[in-house]
Amino acid sequence: MIGLTAVRQALDFGELMREHRAMVFSVLWHFLHDRDLAEELAQDVFLSLHKNLNTIETAAHAGFWLRKVAVQRAIDAARKRNRRPQVSLEEVAEPSVRPAAGDPMLGEMLRRLIATLPEGPRMAMILRYQEDMDPAEIAETMGIPLGTVKSHIQRSLGLLREKLERRGVGER
Amino acid sequence: MDWLEEELKQALARKEPGAGFDARVRARLHRRPPQWLAVAAAIVVTIGAGEAWQQYRGRVVKEQVMTAMRIAGSKLSRVQAQMKVSEQ
Repeated sequence: MIGLTAVRQALDFGELMREHRAMVFSVLWHFLHDRDLAEELAQDVFLSLHKNLNTIETAAHAGFWLRKVAVQRAIDAARKRNRRPQVSLEEVAEPSVRPAAGDPMLGEMLRRLIATLPEGPRMAMILRYQEDMDPAEIAETMGIPLGTVKSHIQRSLGLLREKLERRGVGER
Repeated sequence: MDWLEEELKQALARKEPGAGFDARVRARLHRRPPQWLAVAAAIVVTIGAGEAWQQYRGRVVKEQVMTAMRIAGSKLSRVQAQMKVSEQ
């Protein structure tokens, strides 16, 4: 009986890991901008899920739970490293050739710019554009007021737009 | 959604962790606890058992003292009763 339950849990856990590993890893990676640390923390998140599997009711609940834990772990890790962004917004290297829309170089520049934002706005932007969540869902996941989320997103977009325009990148 | 938001969606699209991620998680799941943890657990159990034994011994000694006092008390009552009888 116990053996069967354990086998069932292991199967469910495997499915949950396959379904959500990219989400968990990407939240951590985009937030911390450190691939090795992101992978280690993503493993921690799934170990924590395994420990709490009996409290998870549905696959959707698991997704919500994992996202929330990944967000918290990312913020905790950033605070533990006691560092604001690794690079300041002004230090993001200017490309020798101006990247155009859809250019992979622009993607990298955006990821680096996102990594320079303060914690709250950075996570709000990641959840908005990586996870395609609306501001109300982001507010619930981060445990902050809806107005703060909206303000984080608007101000971050304005800041990014300004920095990109200064680098000669804009709408074509 | 404007061009910047479209670019952000592409730039922040989900990525898979390195190959073998699931296996690494499973390996950590089945990793044995470190040896110091077993030693610490043994020490805690030993101290706990010692404490329980002391408490048990204390209870036994207390019961023996109470029994002795009850016996002494009953003998004293008997002597007092006999003294009253002999005085009369």
